[in-house]
Amino acid sequence: MILYILCFILFLVGLYGVITRRNVIKIVLGICIMEYSLNLLLILIGYVDEGVAPIVVRETMASKFVDPLPQAMVLTVIVIGLATTAMLLAIAIRVYKKHGTFDIREIKNLKG
Amino acid sequence: MSTGLVVLLLIILAGVAPLTRRYLKGMAGWIYAVFPFGGFVYYLSLLPRINAGEVITERFSWIPVYGIDFSFYVDGFGVLFSLIVLGIGTFIMVYAGYYMKPYPMKGRFLGYLALFMASMLGIVVSGNLITMFVFWELTSISSFMLIGYYHEKPEARMAALHALLITGFGGLALIGGFVLLAIPYGTYELSVILTDPAAIQNSNLYVPALLLILVGAFTKSAQFPFHFWLPGAMAAPSPVSAYLHSATMVKAGVFLLARLNPVLGGTDLWMILLTTFGATTMVVGAWLSITQTDLKRILAYTTVSALGTLVLLIGTGTKYAINAAIIFLLVHALYKGTLFMMAGNIEKMTGTRDITKLGGLYKYMPFAAVVMGLALVSMAGIPPLLGFIGKELIYEAKMYAPTARVVLIAASFFTNVVLVFLSFRLFFDVFKGTEPSYEKKPAAPSLALIIGPFFLVLASLVLGVYPTAIATPLTSQAVLSISPFIEAITLKIWHGFNLVLGLSALTVLSGYLMYRHKKKVFIVADKLNIKYFTREFSRTFTTSIDSFLVFAKGQTKNLQHGYHRFYLMTVFVVASVLVWTMIWRADPIILEINFSEMPLNLVAVVVLIIAAALSAVTSHSRVIALVAMGVIGFGIAIIFIAFSGTDLAITMILVETLMIILAMALLLQLPAYKIYSDTGARMRDGLVAVLVGSFMMVMVLQAGTSQLGEPISEFFKEKSYTEAFGRNIVNVILVDFRALDTLGEITVIAIAALGIYSMIKFTKNKQV
Amino acid sequence: MLIAPILLPLLSMVILIFTRRWLVFQQTFSLLATIMLTVISLTLLLDINTNGIITIQMGSWPAPYGITLIGDLLASIMLLTTSFVAIVVMIYSPGFIDRERQTAGYYPLVFGLLMGVNGAFLTGDIFNLYVWYEVMLTSSFVLIALGGSAEQLRGSVKYVTISFVASIFFVSAIGIIYGQTGTLNMADLAYKMRTWDDMPYINSGLMLFFIAFSIKSALFPFFFWLPASYHTPPVAITALFAGTLTKVGIYTMIRFFSLFVVQDVVFWKTFLLVIAGLTMSIGVMMAASQFDIRKILSFHIISQVGYMVMGLAIFTVNSVAAAIYFTVHNMLSKTNTFLAGGLVYQRSGSYDLKYLGGLYKTMPFLAILFFVPAMSLAGIPPLPGFFGKFFLIKGGFEAGQYVITAVAILVGLFTLFSMIKIWNEAYWKKEPDDMPEPGPVSKGTLVATALLAAAVVALGVFAGPVMEVCHAAALQVTSPEVYIEAVLGN
Repeated sequence: MILYILCFILFLVGLYGVITRRNVIKIVLGICIMEYSLNLLLILIGYVDEGVAPIVVRETMASKFVDPLPQAMVLTVIVIGLATTAMLLAIAIRVYKKHGTFDIREIKNLKG
Repeated sequence: MSTGLVVLLLIILAGVAPLTRRYLKGMAGWIYAVFPFGGFVYYLSLLPRINAGEVITERFSWIPVYGIDFSFYVDGFGVLFSLIVLGIGTFIMVYAGYYMKPYPMKGRFLGYLALFMASMLGIVVSGNLITMFVFWELTSISSFMLIGYYHEKPEARMAALHALLITGFGGLALIGGFVLLAIPYGTYELSVILTDPAAIQNSNLYVPALLLILVGAFTKSAQFPFHFWLPGAMAAPSPVSAYLHSATMVKAGVFLLARLNPVLGGTDLWMILLTTFGATTMVVGAWLSITQTDLKRILAYTTVSALGTLVLLIGTGTKYAINAAIIFLLVHALYKGTLFMMAGNIEKMTGTRDITKLGGLYKYMPFAAVVMGLALVSMAGIPPLLGFIGKELIYEAKMYAPTARVVLIAASFFTNVVLVFLSFRLFFDVFKGTEPSYEKKPAAPSLALIIGPFFLVLASLVLGVYPTAIATPLTSQAVLSISPFIEAITLKIWHGFNLVLGLSALTVLSGYLMYRHKKKVFIVADKLNIKYFTREFSRTFTTSIDSFLVFAKGQTKNLQHGYHRFYLMTVFVVASVLVWTMIWRADPIILEINFSEMPLNLVAVVVLIIAAALSAVTSHSRVIALVAMGVIGFGIAIIFIAFSGTDLAITMILVETLMIILAMALLLQLPAYKIYSDTGARMRDGLVAVLVGSFMMVMVLQAGTSQLGEPISEFFKEKSYTEAFGRNIVNVILVDFRALDTLGEITVIAIAALGIYSMIKFTKNKQV
Repeated sequence: MLIAPILLPLLSMVILIFTRRWLVFQQTFSLLATIMLTVISLTLLLDINTNGIITIQMGSWPAPYGITLIGDLLASIMLLTTSFVAIVVMIYSPGFIDRERQTAGYYPLVFGLLMGVNGAFLTGDIFNLYVWYEVMLTSSFVLIALGGSAEQLRGSVKYVTISFVASIFFVSAIGIIYGQTGTLNMADLAYKMRTWDDMPYINSGLMLFFIAFSIKSALFPFFFWLPASYHTPPVAITALFAGTLTKVGIYTMIRFFSLFVVQDVVFWKTFLLVIAGLTMSIGVMMAASQFDIRKILSFHIISQVGYMVMGLAIFTVNSVAAAIYFTVHNMLSKTNTFLAGGLVYQRSGSYDLKYLGGLYKTMPFLAILFFVPAMSLAGIPPLPGFFGKFFLIKGGFEAGQYVITAVAILVGLFTLFSMIKIWNEAYWKKEPDDMPEPGPVSKGTLVATALLAAAVVALGVFAGPVMEVCHAAALQVTSPEVYIEAVLGN
């Protein structure tokens, strides 16, 4: 149960970071935190009480395994998240070099 | 094949004209005129078959799924109209070819003219509502191009825009109306629709269909209150005014009403709407024409008035009214085409078309004066021209009108008096009277410029003198097409002494008196205009466009304000409202929160993660933030281990390490964070976060508790070792069961790497 | 065969990544690859049209366990249109995009984008769909920021962060749906949804999906990122995005609506209709006040997505067919207007209507190239925009949806207004005195724009056969049993 709460709080904190912070880097961090919470969520969905890691060894019963599919999905999501976050960071740095600030309010484009 | 072929040939001409004009030079108009003339002769040759009661149809399959065909339907009315379109079109081509000589881009001009001709012909001979609509919109577009011919002048662009917006609006209404109209029939073919009026009239779609179609017809035919675009369209060169804005395009609305009369007409609503709008337009047009001084604007307002008359007649729908409508259509096309061409000639010869700056032209161009004089006689409704027969029939129609006879007669009388007045004015103020000093000495218009007006007036004269022999064969079948239960009246120029003749005489007399006292008339009219008619529709239209633009600009600033945080917030708030709505629409929320089983060490990890997350978001030092991110990552990895996700934990730790190293490397070059956000908004932001976070929570809890079916992963557990030969099921899923996901994942990494690389490299090469 | 539209771009991308220095090779190879892609798509379309839906199971694991790729008519229509747009953009790019950008990975990125788009069209698995979305989005992130002008970076920050948010919604929706139903295969999910009576939280999950897709297809009120970013990269890239990217969102929405909306259908329809109406009218209103050609066109993307949603929401065979036809038309016409806008830029050095003018006189051919697609967007017959609108009106009226249809009709008028505004200002107005020096228009850009304009005209003239295919596609969409059966058997 406590993990649900963790999941909730992480999402909250990340979201708060995304919408309160004007700093591009902070927004990136916020998004990362939200992603963590998301991963946790997927794992929780696949969890079986008293479950064991889904690795086939002779003595374990298949029914005892936690659901492996969400784990596989999380792996994919983590990796994709890494790639895209790195992208966003790179863009943020370029923005900084261009504008000398991370403040999105200062770099906003009025007409955009 | 051949009815459609004429349209096709004209379209080809439209494409060819801009390319060949420069080689043909001055002969271009004469050569291009062969196309419409050939069409004219062809349609004339159809007349015996039509008069024998035949309807000539052709059909090419186009969108068979919806029963939309490219089809043609030539009946008496269609043939009459196409003769007008092609006949006048022939002369206009000749006229325009010469008239446009001094201007640039005349090839394109003649091309648009041909395109217009093709589409106008298309409207009148099409046998399918959709075919008709295609041509209908093409006339709007080609008219836009023609009105905006002097496109470097702002007022020409404005006039073109107005005309297009008004007719475009009408077009949109019209297509809506057509769709509704066709629903009861399941087809857009006129041959089916026209024979079965009951199907639509008994349906509740009748009223909306009728209203929409009327909007389409009224905008095109410049009915009040849409009339203002037509005088504005006088910004176009004279050949355009002569052709589109008097004889043809503006009649398309009238044509449509007449065409659909068998299916939509005959109801009270039809009659009331058409007579009201028609009569209003007729009177308003006539009234506004009195005080105009620009030759073309005078003619434009009388055209508005004439269009009102036509709509009124079709709406009245009696035997006399329909007959009068057909005759008047022809009459008006003949004299108005002439007058516009003459107005163009006068402008060309004198450099002005302001009637107050004209006079005494007779001695320079006597022949032209006679031609114009005859056309004016026709307009005034004086024998022996066809105009007389037209006007007599109109009076007769009013006398036999089902309701409101007195009002209608009075309105008609007023209109005709104004027409007589204008006829006097246009002749005597232009050709007689004192001669102002012209900039250059006026010369008589050359052959190409006068041949059109001459032949049109000649036609008016011949038809007027021999109505039974020549005019009746043209019009008798047309009457039947409009209303199958009405017989054609035998046209006569002499009706004997009767009330109508008396009325005619009175009209002419009053018109003359009005001209005699024109100064007083102008003073009174101006006074009335200032007092009651200050509203200029075109200006109102312009201001409403402007205020719409201001409104749009304001709203755009409100919506697309550029504040990124608020974009994100809008997304989140709307998203959570939507999802909460869905949760609320489902069963009530049951949360089974059970705090009993909480391993203490897990609690410790969780608290640590939360603390780290908070500091990551709030700290002002980037090193602390990064370390905090690391703590979160590792903490979650621990949780993964606790939840039997060993692979995950390993990946997580790897990714986390990589990320932190990367971020450190990138960020350490930069200065410390500055405090960017203020405290005032934090409460609100926190609230948004709670709103969104909480629905996620609820949904996750539900998803965890309410399993509806067995997960597909049972299959993986079973087959992983036996068929895919891997013990680690997660790995097997990634590389075998769902290998395509992994392929995509790798692609993402490759693309991101390429992106980061090129972004960094680009900096070195080029500072944009 | 079905995997070819994914593998071919992948292969091309790999080859192009390693040959970035050889510019001419990149240009030729890209063009050839897109042509081949179009040929493949066309073959697929013809095949599916005669033989029905094609499916393959990746790794030959049976559905619903392995990943299904499924090609129905809708998917193959989208594939064909996308790859055709790609050909045109590939002809256009060499003469338009500067050398630095071209060698910095422009071509491989385009193929990355195409791979993602095609994958999204073909996949029959919701998680796999997510992966393709990410492939597509990552490529678009790079493309939008490529070159890194200040304006581009600003736009891309907005674009990327909002896309991230969309992805978060997407993944959580997958998690929630999987948690409840235990399946990821779309056909399987659709089938199971039709067997269970009580699925309390499925609709909330679907709403999350809807939010994710509507962010990606720029529906009201999730469209902000589009006008903030689309005008920033070179117009060839914008044109490619306009033709492909937002339409993937719509495609997925059609797919999901057809398969998964089984509960509370009336609510969903009404909800979508309201969104469609707002999207249409607000988009067109915002366009009216703009003075930058690219911005006017960008706002119109939003407005026109509204039309597609409208056709979907009415959800009769005719209306869905109309939506499909409209989508195809929009992919072509919209790309075409952007490309024509690029020609204006090449010629006059600006996109701002205030600094433009006189192009009608000096460049008649260029004027035609803009006028054709612009009038198509405005719905003037016999161009395809008219038929798209007409079919939608027909579908709307026949289904008795009078209000939304009336809105759609009115919005058409404002679209006409915007297009004429561009025309009046950039083409008809006298050139302003301070207009920048005219530049040369390169041959490739001209040819590409002309080719696309010809395609637009052809789409209208041959509306009959095209509509026949769209109609058949709509039949498949409106009867999801066919789809389910194709994947799962009986």
